[in-house]
Amino acid sequence: MTFSKIFNASLIYSTFRTATPIIYAALCAAITQQADILNIGTEGIMLFGAFMAVAVSYLTGSWALGVLVAMFGGLCIAMVMAVSHLKFRSDICAIGMGVNMFAVAITKFLLNAWLKQSGTFADPKIIPIPKVHIKAIEKIGFLNDTFNDWTITEWFVIILIIVLWFVFYKTVWGLRIRAVGRMAQAAQTAGINVDSMKYQAIAISGLVGGLAGAHLSLGYSAMFVENMTNARGFMGVAAMYFGGAHPIITALGCFFFGFADSVGARLQAYGVPSQLVLLMPYVATIAVLAISMATKSAMEKKRKSSLITAA
Amino acid sequence: MKKRVLAMFLAAGMAASLVACGGSSASTETKAEAKTETKAEEKKESEASEKPGDSSEKSKIRVCVAYSGNLGDKSYNDSCNEGSQKAVADFGIELKNLEGTTPDEWKANLLSACEDGYDLVICSSSNFQEYLVEYAPEYPDVKFAIIDTTVDAPNVQSISFAQNQGSFLAGAAAALFTEKTDIEGVNSDAIIGWVGGMDIPVLHDFYVGYEQGAKYINPDIQILQAFAGTWNDPLKGKELTLAQYEQGADIVMNVASGTGSGILEAATDAGKYAIGVDLNQDNDQPGHVLTSMVKRVDTACYLTIKSVVEGTFQGGSTSYLTVADGGVSLTDFAVIKEALGDKFPQDIVDKVAELEKKIVSGEIVVDNYEGFGPSAK
Repeated sequence: MTFSKIFNASLIYSTFRTATPIIYAALCAAITQQADILNIGTEGIMLFGAFMAVAVSYLTGSWALGVLVAMFGGLCIAMVMAVSHLKFRSDICAIGMGVNMFAVAITKFLLNAWLKQSGTFADPKIIPIPKVHIKAIEKIGFLNDTFNDWTITEWFVIILIIVLWFVFYKTVWGLRIRAVGRMAQAAQTAGINVDSMKYQAIAISGLVGGLAGAHLSLGYSAMFVENMTNARGFMGVAAMYFGGAHPIITALGCFFFGFADSVGARLQAYGVPSQLVLLMPYVATIAVLAISMATKSAMEKKRKSSLITAA
Repeated sequence: MKKRVLAMFLAAGMAASLVACGGSSASTETKAEAKTETKAEEKKESEASEKPGDSSEKSKIRVCVAYSGNLGDKSYNDSCNEGSQKAVADFGIELKNLEGTTPDEWKANLLSACEDGYDLVICSSSNFQEYLVEYAPEYPDVKFAIIDTTVDAPNVQSISFAQNQGSFLAGAAAALFTEKTDIEGVNSDAIIGWVGGMDIPVLHDFYVGYEQGAKYINPDIQILQAFAGTWNDPLKGKELTLAQYEQGADIVMNVASGTGSGILEAATDAGKYAIGVDLNQDNDQPGHVLTSMVKRVDTACYLTIKSVVEGTFQGGSTSYLTVADGGVSLTDFAVIKEALGDKFPQDIVDKVAELEKKIVSGEIVVDNYEGFGPSAK
């Protein structure tokens, strides 16, 4: 009875729902990682996107416009990172952290000065991203519990994962970006404009990061709260490491986080100490990183030895 | 090797994110309106004549309120702020608010308030308890007040609430409500939920009352309990609440400050119900908030400032505000009544009123969590 209440059909959607914001963040980090740029600013881009989405949706009454402006906002912040990293050669981690702090401060400031709110901003005039209701499966209990009433951005993330996988591994552009990431000098010798590729990667990453924020504030909820990302961007970066910037494996890592979180939420109700449950996502983060590092070093060792025997 | 370096950067980034959160602590200063200033000066003069020792002090009374969490939570902190703003309007005091979301910030804010020579430093929540125990003796000239818990020191006034009594009523209302299966979204299971912010003793005092109230109505009721572990992650609150709805709860009580706005939003999203806390939250998600357990933090804050202004501040004292003196209460169900129309179960209101009388008369004694209650030290 208790077991069936924890592991039931709604857990599937719950896992997906909690994982989606992290997947977006992880994809945002994965795009630049393919070009060997660690986008630590994911968190900040996301937070700024979340704010812009809510503000525009509130002022214009259009969620679509909100999402677009959020993506544009993400792009702007990403371009600041790109210019300072690629043109002025600043350290990407430093500028990324700068972006994160800037986003916390600027969103708080704009919330106070522009929207005249503090702390939490929830208003009926904020139009959320609509949910997709499929009439055909309404009557089928399992399918209805699992797949009905997803928001548009939750469906879109699946498309985005597949598209990014295709772009990275099946297109010329993807090959070039990976070449730039693997060994920039070799790519340059082959006639690839390295800086241009990196600019493109960061720009697309900014768009996805903005979308991640928009989903958080307009899809997952319909409000903006100061620092509402609450380290979801960083969890995304961790998941990206787990997946080695491969979109599909990265997404699987995110599902693992989502699953840990969702099961935790259910376990608490049955007297499992909250401290233990709240620890789970972080334990999962460490576990995921440890596993990915172990497999990676094992693979590297293998590659090395095969080279030696070849020589 | 390179990857390993990158991983270290990532770890550093995570650590630095904590610092980034720390950067969000902000302060706002409120100046009294010109109108009220004259009034305050009159008060001041009368006070000065009573206590000649204070006459050298020419400036306004300076009050600092330290918050755990941010303002704008539409709950506990905002309620406290309402009280202090009222004091600004009435007495023309100088007010400084210090917000902080992490324990380091709370400690730093408290220390800076001590050093800045305020007449009164109000610690808005029990999160400050351990720091106040440590620092109150070091600043014997500063008057301190702490809300929601008790600190035994000669210069600290403690104000706590009988949140267990208020929660008893909320639990009873929830237990009655979960049986009204004719209302849309209410299922046949006798399961109710409860989502708290941080796992601290005062929230257990809430829970003890909630559980007792619910079991008073229906001894077999099942209560789902969860903590978000934070005061300012509404998305986490929303997820916990949705999980409880999916496990059969149809009404969930919110005791989570800023995290709570997600709890109330989950009620609307899932077509279920919630109970608000601290402030009247009935209108935050109209039609999905059954009632709110109002805790008059504003009154506590206002009265403390008033006592300092009037020179009646008593350090070392403890006040305990209960259902009997209006310190805690439920709202009047008006908003949900309008939303549900004919289906609104009037018997809940009547039963709650009856229970309230029984608590006041002492016929029902609501249990306290260890360390709380009128005699707690």
